[in-house]
Amino acid sequence: MNRISTNNPNDNMQFHLRERNRSLQHLQNQIATQSRIQNLRDDPMAAAHSTRYQSYTARLQRYGDNIETIMARNQSAEGYLQHGTDMIQRARELAVQGANGIYTREDMQHMAVEIDEIIKEMVEVANARSSDGTAIFAGDRTRSVPFHPLQGSVAAGEDARITEVLYRGTIGQQSGEVGENSFIETNFPGNKVFWAENQQVSSRVDARDYLVEEHGSFSINGVEISLREGDTVHSLINRINDSGAPVRARLDPVFSGLVLETTTPQQLWLQEGPGSPVLQDLGLVSSSDDPPPRNIARDAMVSGGSVFDALIRLRDMLHAGDQDAIGSQGINGMDRALDALTGSLGRIGAVNSRLDGSWMRNENEILNVKNQNSQKTDVDLAEAIMELRKLEATHRAALSVSARIMQPTLLDFIR
Amino acid sequence: MQSTFAGIELGKRGVLAHQRALQVVGHNLTNASTEGYSRQRIEFETLPPLSRPGLNRAERAGQIGQGVDPARIERVRDELVERRILTATGNESYWSTRDRVILQLEQIYNEPTDSSVRHLMDRFWDGWQELSLYPDQRASREAVLQRGSALVEGIRLRHNSLDSTRRMVEEEIRGGVTQINGLMRDIAQLNREITRVKGAGDSPNDLLDRRDLLIERLSQHLDISVDSRDPDDFSVYSGGFHIVQGDIHRPFEIAPDREQEGFGRVVWQHSGEAVQFRGGSLGALQELRDDDIRSEIQALDTLTVNVADLVNEIHRDGYGLNGRTGQDFFVEYPAILNAQGNIDTNQDGTFDRSLIFRINGTNELNPSAAIGLSGTIRLSADPAIVIGGILEIPYQPVDTVEDVMRRINNSGAEVIARLNRDGQLELKATTAADPDHRDFVIRHVEDSGQFLTGYAGLLAESGEAGAFNWDQSDAIVALRGADAQGRSAEYAVAPLMNPAGWIAVNPDILREPTSIASSFSDTANPGESGDGRAALAIATLRNTTTGIGRTETLDDYFSDSVARIGLKGEQAELALRTSERIRKDLTDLRQSISGVNMDEELAQMIKFQHGYQAAARFITTVDRMLDTIINRLGS
Repeated sequence: MNRISTNNPNDNMQFHLRERNRSLQHLQNQIATQSRIQNLRDDPMAAAHSTRYQSYTARLQRYGDNIETIMARNQSAEGYLQHGTDMIQRARELAVQGANGIYTREDMQHMAVEIDEIIKEMVEVANARSSDGTAIFAGDRTRSVPFHPLQGSVAAGEDARITEVLYRGTIGQQSGEVGENSFIETNFPGNKVFWAENQQVSSRVDARDYLVEEHGSFSINGVEISLREGDTVHSLINRINDSGAPVRARLDPVFSGLVLETTTPQQLWLQEGPGSPVLQDLGLVSSSDDPPPRNIARDAMVSGGSVFDALIRLRDMLHAGDQDAIGSQGINGMDRALDALTGSLGRIGAVNSRLDGSWMRNENEILNVKNQNSQKTDVDLAEAIMELRKLEATHRAALSVSARIMQPTLLDFIR
Repeated sequence: MQSTFAGIELGKRGVLAHQRALQVVGHNLTNASTEGYSRQRIEFETLPPLSRPGLNRAERAGQIGQGVDPARIERVRDELVERRILTATGNESYWSTRDRVILQLEQIYNEPTDSSVRHLMDRFWDGWQELSLYPDQRASREAVLQRGSALVEGIRLRHNSLDSTRRMVEEEIRGGVTQINGLMRDIAQLNREITRVKGAGDSPNDLLDRRDLLIERLSQHLDISVDSRDPDDFSVYSGGFHIVQGDIHRPFEIAPDREQEGFGRVVWQHSGEAVQFRGGSLGALQELRDDDIRSEIQALDTLTVNVADLVNEIHRDGYGLNGRTGQDFFVEYPAILNAQGNIDTNQDGTFDRSLIFRINGTNELNPSAAIGLSGTIRLSADPAIVIGGILEIPYQPVDTVEDVMRRINNSGAEVIARLNRDGQLELKATTAADPDHRDFVIRHVEDSGQFLTGYAGLLAESGEAGAFNWDQSDAIVALRGADAQGRSAEYAVAPLMNPAGWIAVNPDILREPTSIASSFSDTANPGESGDGRAALAIATLRNTTTGIGRTETLDDYFSDSVARIGLKGEQAELALRTSERIRKDLTDLRQSISGVNMDEELAQMIKFQHGYQAAARFITTVDRMLDTIINRLGS
């Protein structure tokens, strides 16, 4: 049997009261903060998971924001393109009318005037700016005006009219992250959206015996093609065709010059690498330091143009009253322009519907992750309160027992 | 014939003995609450009886009792329990120190809340996302800048908190050493007195109690064991060394250590040798200072240095809205190192070390391509794991680049490998386990084959002659020079101070937010204003495998570090609860054996009181008998 010393009950009381106070304090803190984890030690693994969940939620919310921003941009671009399509529709109607043969020369002049207005309106559309003040169809040169109309007189005595529309934007693709390492393009370079035909550049320089003299590179529509010393034109053609750039290269059978053609309606974008003269030697770009697309060599043949080119051609035909050309080239040009614009519209629509889906999924994911986090770290209030009541009851009991450890001693009975 | 007055003498002895016994009872009762007091017991013995040679031995009792003698006053104590209490006390105080300090570390983490470094970093990446969508707007640049500054502040704050915790622990070690020196001196002094009292034939119970108390206090600070087999040569040991022997004690002292950021080493005063305590609060404090807190600071440094390097790497390639390029986003203060990473460590006026943090190869590698080469890569590692501190990693022709990298990363070398954004092999230094080595410095890179040389384009030559070694100036000459396309192996110098304590946002960028790189250039010209590719590339560092030290992604890093400190805390708390209970059980047992029970003492008191009364009555009786003989006889 254990001997009980006088101090024993006192020590025990202190120890157990301390323990109980600690538990009570812990539980009260949990209930007050609604978090199961006061310090990391309370549940290290749950805390570790929780850091992941919280960071992941922050990221998902950012993806949601990104998706909303991109969708808003797309919608504003869609609006402008819709307007542009209506305009081209009207131009096509005029072309069909003009090809009819029952209109007089004067009528066709009037039609030409209307087409001219359509051109101006189309330039406005192509230079549209989004709500945050950036040009929508400028590639990544968003502070500039992407389409520059050049004015000139078509015929003597006439008012000056738009004779050419130059693209001053870039082909730079912006992209945003809409999911874990999943990116989506957020802008629409105008030389793709407003391009009606595949563009082709044919050099007049005989390239059969051409050899690359030193290492270097050039880029075609943003894809870099590296060059090694001793490359022939054929190895260059192979490398271009295999590069993934939307461009086909071949040798002209007549002039033996290098011919580049885009595979979809868009402008050809040629750029020499630093210190490399290859494109210039091959007769594709000029020696001047003009940036693309104004750097195409003067003696190279260029074909395939923009929606504006097609409209300007139609207007000039109407001016000239050339019914045959209107009926063939004019209507055809309008058809292609319509194709290009509706194609772009379709692309935007498809992207937006994909983003819509991503957004829904993203929102669901946020909800799920928050739920998981809550399960890991939050207090089950009912359980915690039950536990608190239980502790309080035992604490009360312990205190009332402690009050009685002042037992009667022998002292009470010694005279 | 017996003496007439013998009875008075016998009665007097009884009275004195019981008086003495009552004294002991009183001592016990009044010391019931004295710390470290063990109750004392008086032991009565009969005095040696007188043997009287008599004529009628056969018929009469030959020996005459001489009464009572208080032979000893002894402490009631169980030495075995005392020994176990010493161990349990050391254990408890070890865990309670650890528990207390680790709780502080946990609170520095501030996880999982919205004010942690992790949250600040999430906001930082979010800023870059914003910039990638609106690269031409000043507001998004300000967001990146402000969040970058907030992140830097957060990292510095955490570093300072960790550092001041470490300094606080250092203070406690200094205080603890002074305390144990005092305790040891007191114990040695008590030993001298105890020997003296014992020599005089007494039992120095209260001195012994006092010594036991001091020893128990000493056991809170360090792991000790006692040896009392020779009562004149009472010894206390710690870790197999005498710290007290009889009246001699061996004090410790703190020797400042320049290599360890000014933290002191505990050494023996007599020999100057370093001491590593294994238990008690000092053991815990030493461990916390040199191991736990140090590794927390290292982990924070690892995060800082890697994030800064990754962001800077892209930021330098990108272009700001004002066309600036080649700028770092984060800078380290103070940048004393020269561009080749040379430093003069022994301050003799010549460079003797190269501090290089990262080396990049020139060639773009395909991670899943078989390398078709064989050889052995030799990298620096912890000398405690590998003899000489050089780890060998063999590779075979069938291995892929990924295989080799994984092998390097899992080898335990203090260098990790990854492919960077351009697909080049990148070797980065980690923290050094050995406190004598600098963190974030690549100490040795060597390849007996062609993988690091021709294949990855990192080293110039194979074999020992072409090895990169940090213990020389201009070690970077071992790296691959410019190839036909003018590319050469790149490197980054190591931070000279704790990166986490000195990191800042580049002041040039703070002055001019348009310098924040958001675009890449396709030609040599600055990127366009609407190009957010560089910003996007930085933002996506967040969720790509980047290699933050040994962890792969930032998420891994943060959840790892939270789990690590949390688990340490959990362990400390559990162990503390357990050791508290063990010690309580043992002290209860001691109380049960040595503690004073008042009722018991009162009962004893009554007993001795009665004994005293009886002895007194005996004297009176003898007195009356003598009265009868002297005064009444023959009158």
